[in-house]
Amino acid sequence: MNARVNKNFTNVLFLSPWLILLMLFGLIPIFYSFYLSFSKYTLLNPHIEWVGLANYLAIFKNEAFLDALVHTFIFALGTIPFTTIIALGIALLINHKVPFKGLFRAGFFIPSVTSMVVIAIIFTYIYAPNGFLNHLLNGSGLAEGLNLKNVNWLMKTKTALGSIMAMNVWASFGYYAILYLTALQTVPEELYEAAKLDGSNSLQSFLFITLPHLKPMTLFIIVINTIRSFQVFPEIYLMTKGGPMGATTTVVWELYKEGFMHFRMGRASAIAYTLFLIIFVLALLQMQLFKTDEQLV
Amino acid sequence: MKGKYKIDLKTAVILFLLLVLVMATILPLYLMFATSLKTEGTIFSTLNEIIPRKITLQNYRDVFKSGPFPRYIFNSLFIAISVTVGNLIFCSLAGYVFARRNFHGKKILFLIVIGTMMIPSQVTIVPLFLIMKQLHWFNTYYALIVPGLAGPFGILLMTQYFKQIPRTLDESAFMDGASDFYVLTKILLPLAKPALVVLGVLTFLGSWNDFLFPLLLTDTVEMRTLPVGLALYKGLHGVDWVHLMAGSSLAAIPVIILFLFFQRHIISGLLKGAIKG
Repeated sequence: MNARVNKNFTNVLFLSPWLILLMLFGLIPIFYSFYLSFSKYTLLNPHIEWVGLANYLAIFKNEAFLDALVHTFIFALGTIPFTTIIALGIALLINHKVPFKGLFRAGFFIPSVTSMVVIAIIFTYIYAPNGFLNHLLNGSGLAEGLNLKNVNWLMKTKTALGSIMAMNVWASFGYYAILYLTALQTVPEELYEAAKLDGSNSLQSFLFITLPHLKPMTLFIIVINTIRSFQVFPEIYLMTKGGPMGATTTVVWELYKEGFMHFRMGRASAIAYTLFLIIFVLALLQMQLFKTDEQLV
Repeated sequence: MKGKYKIDLKTAVILFLLLVLVMATILPLYLMFATSLKTEGTIFSTLNEIIPRKITLQNYRDVFKSGPFPRYIFNSLFIAISVTVGNLIFCSLAGYVFARRNFHGKKILFLIVIGTMMIPSQVTIVPLFLIMKQLHWFNTYYALIVPGLAGPFGILLMTQYFKQIPRTLDESAFMDGASDFYVLTKILLPLAKPALVVLGVLTFLGSWNDFLFPLLLTDTVEMRTLPVGLALYKGLHGVDWVHLMAGSSLAAIPVIILFLFFQRHIISGLLKGAIKG
């Protein structure tokens, strides 16, 4: 056996577990899913029939899906600015020379490693009609003033989606705060010192040194957070099942409903690919947006 | 630097702000633990009950004794450990080839690794469900373990780490007639311990917390994992808060302990782009 054959053999051998898994559970599902999205296929009638664009046309004519799409956009637009700003604020606070830095960092981060199922259970408890939030509002007198007496947060169409969004901000800002913190730690100290010598105050330093330096991280954070917002599912499954009156349906919830409640696999695949396309386009758009912005500066 | 903090007004204000914010962040988790230690009658009375007056472990005893919770915990542990061990082995093997070898198509293969990281798992869940049915793996451990045994994140991580290790080390071993397997296991892996810890902890956390796949790829009580079991329990007994919180605490505690032990590793790993959530 010559050395080269031997080397190629090792390459194949070492890569094969990954390659086999990739084929079976990665590439085949991806292409199969794409094919299914153009087919009529239900578990009850296991005959796959090619239907062209019918699934895509059907989902975009389906009001429930369009509502879910709107809710998902509201979810992303309504959470990402808050999450990002809170994360930045906390990162700036921790970045000061304060004692117990490590403890704070850990405290803020813990929700991000906690299972969404656990978080959703806790917040169902908090949002319950006689739950913690209402006790807090009643106890502080805010309930009277704001006319919020014993609101059933998750069961009212007006408050359900917002309540889940607020929970999502709580559950995720710590992760982004840590990302911001590491970016802050890479700003060269000399820049601030030089700016100080030139007579700029701390606000100016923040605006002209810190913020521009944080731009790539901000882009990264917004892209990841957008992707995650479009994948919202466990919290919906646990807290509202899309209700009340369809007020909290999301794209992945609709995918679940079509595929695993109605067993319409073709339509579910069309939703999956639509989701993929939206995420892909949004990620590209955001990168483009930040790029041109950079050139202007 | 350490231990020398100027406690001036600014520092005091920042410290106070951070303290309030971190307490607000921890509060929901505190409520979970506190409620899990309460007796049923005392949960929803007033804000004064925020600190439980009488602490009891009865809810945990109930959860352990009755019903399928011990099975859920076993399933979650078994699956998470299997997936973690698989990733440590298979990602190291693949990472070794990507870091140390040159061959036709390597670039394309590596692009596929990165590409598969970007694809949301929801895209593949429908066909994966159908494939599992066809393989007769639906509702078995195979369905929940095998697909995740060699994740792209691990391959990326191991490749990057191996690349940092000087090649001279393996070359001198090869001179002495060592095999690839020897170089990988006896030279590179001992040096790559930090990367292995990051990979191991993150894989365990991801698997332990996973919800969508175990929900859709199993359908009997014996095969459910802890998060899915909790979700179903909530669906059936939505207001049995003390037991729900005890179960939730059991799901959260291992994660929090792991996090506190491996904080640095987890954070550095997430920074390397564990985009999959």
